[in-house]
Amino acid sequence: MEKLKQINRKCKRFSARLKTSKGVLCVEKPTTNIVLCNVGQATGFLKEDANNLQQELPTVNILKYIAEKGESHSFLVFTDVKSSQLFYEAHNGKAKAMNGTLIYMNYVEEVPSDEILCTADPPKGLQIIPNFITIEEEIAFITLFDWMDESNLKNRQVKHYGYEFRYGSNDVDLNTPLDEKIPSQCDILWERLRAQGIAINVPDQLTVNKYLPGQGIPSHVDRHSPFGDTILSLSLGSDVVMDWKHHSNKYVPIAVPARSMLVMQEEARYDWQHAIQPRTWDPIVQTRKHERVITGDTRPRDTRISLTFRKTREGPCECSYNILCDRFKNDGEIDNVLASHLEELHVHQVYEQIAGHFSTTRHKRWPRVDEFLQSVPSGAVLLDLGAGNGKNILNRNDILQIAGERSAGLLLECSAHTRAISGSDCVRLDLLHSPLRDACADVIICIAVIHHFCSEARRKQSILTIARLLRPGGVALITVWAKDQTKSNYLDTNKENRDTDLVTTIGGVNLPIHENRTQFQHSDLLVPWKLRQIRDKKLTNTSDTFLRYYHVFEDGELDDLCKPELEIQNSFYEEGNWCVVCKKL
Amino acid sequence: MLTSKCLRGVVTGYPLAINATIINITEVDYNPEFITRIIPKLDWEVLWRAADSIGHSDGLPQTIEPKFEENNEFLKKVHRVLLEVDIEEGNLVCPESGRRFPISKGIPNMLLTEAEVQ
Repeated sequence: MEKLKQINRKCKRFSARLKTSKGVLCVEKPTTNIVLCNVGQATGFLKEDANNLQQELPTVNILKYIAEKGESHSFLVFTDVKSSQLFYEAHNGKAKAMNGTLIYMNYVEEVPSDEILCTADPPKGLQIIPNFITIEEEIAFITLFDWMDESNLKNRQVKHYGYEFRYGSNDVDLNTPLDEKIPSQCDILWERLRAQGIAINVPDQLTVNKYLPGQGIPSHVDRHSPFGDTILSLSLGSDVVMDWKHHSNKYVPIAVPARSMLVMQEEARYDWQHAIQPRTWDPIVQTRKHERVITGDTRPRDTRISLTFRKTREGPCECSYNILCDRFKNDGEIDNVLASHLEELHVHQVYEQIAGHFSTTRHKRWPRVDEFLQSVPSGAVLLDLGAGNGKNILNRNDILQIAGERSAGLLLECSAHTRAISGSDCVRLDLLHSPLRDACADVIICIAVIHHFCSEARRKQSILTIARLLRPGGVALITVWAKDQTKSNYLDTNKENRDTDLVTTIGGVNLPIHENRTQFQHSDLLVPWKLRQIRDKKLTNTSDTFLRYYHVFEDGELDDLCKPELEIQNSFYEEGNWCVVCKKL
Repeated sequence: MLTSKCLRGVVTGYPLAINATIINITEVDYNPEFITRIIPKLDWEVLWRAADSIGHSDGLPQTIEPKFEENNEFLKKVHRVLLEVDIEEGNLVCPESGRRFPISKGIPNMLLTEAEVQ
């Protein structure tokens, strides 16, 4: 009796704590849901632990275990109130977690949703044929293709047949075929596809990838020109979830079971990027009517071997999908169309998606920028081009300040800031097609913007815009990210500097993915942004990483870019950035 | 200061006409020195017509008088039309092509599509 009272007191105390600190409302009356007050993801409590407790009670059915990331409480959903009551009475204050602590419980009306809805349609031209081969055939293929040699890529092991796949250029050399052709055991695959009504040219290139649990492949599209209109992928050994992304921002996770054949044609082949997250587990994805739901349930991964079959071809690609196509590339020089596509994908769209989080990380003006702005004479007209969230708009009522920005998300943050400042305004604009009149500005600042333009010609065009908008005698402060980060706080001394083997290919251009907080190894690269979201005033980690394009500048490169339209007055390095103060003559 | 000259085929693209559906008046600090300094930088005729087109030209002269800096009433009116009258919703219209640039939440959207670029 005394013991029961003690448990009840404990439960009440947990109930109060959950209410005030987590907003979880516990109720007296039994419901189908139970909150486990003191065990959760953060304490190492697993779904299996919950299942073990349930096993002692054969008539109890647990529908779901929901453990939010970083929380020391979790939830159980039962099929009916009878089940939850039995569970509660048997285990509340009595059952122990692995570390020996007693588990306390309360009933709750609501549980957090652990599901993510994906409403986008899967890529057109993507087919997954489950059980394309039998278990016996799967074993035979694994025996044929598995190997034990040293790893040759950091994230997975690979082997080639027919032609060697060249990772530098993401193509093959048709003049140097390999001695080893695609094994004849694969011939049954083409026949089976034909029987299913899928007519294909017989592949002549095979890449075998072996992924251990935890390994993945970054988002990519197979290069257009070197390969034909159908790419096949046979999965062996493990199910996996493949993430598909379209440049219009659509995202679709697709479960690819072991023994299935993935057929990529049309949009799926040419216009979508696909990736496998480097995880030891995958979420369970359910398809309900027209929606896909990423449930909170997960499944561990096994070693997976994928056979990617391609048919090589010659000449520039003839597809009708422009954005990811490599036919626009000429001699390593990025042309205007490709550059603007790259910027759309890896600058504009990224800033729209990260705007909220990005803005919370940008409050302080850099000291030299602040100094420059404070020195702007009273009565001046100042343009801030690429203003971001407007942090560089000063609280001064004696100058006219116009903040120009391309991202709608950042502009909302910016206008919330400028509304309070008299004589300041925002406008949505593109620096390269600026809607501002010639010689309208006394002063221009362009802070951390020009490094986002993907070609030399476009970077020059941005300087010409600044020169055009300045009145004669007007001055500008321009800053860009420096390739040399040795004199800044950017570098993490615990990280070793090494070349990345993560590369993403867009339109035939290979862009290395930078390892954050290390010295830059390349001038043109993608820098990951790990998105955190603010939920209930709490920063939460999501698994979303976005890649921003940067051209990092060499010493003197910015000065050269500004000349001769602008006269350099002062050129300096500050905290990893090259900066110039220049004047329109 | 805005122009639609960046549009393909547009020669001058100035001044843009204003269609306002929602206008907000927000009082802000009056700084006569700033107003005096900014007036010479303005295209006065265009400002007057813009103010007139949205019904805020009351008491504003069509031309600037010589010693405007001594006329406090005048400076206050310029302060009002320049800094306190905000177009919250509406659009800006290119005088040559008729292309409309929407103004939403006080922010004009001057982005162009690829096909519209000069």
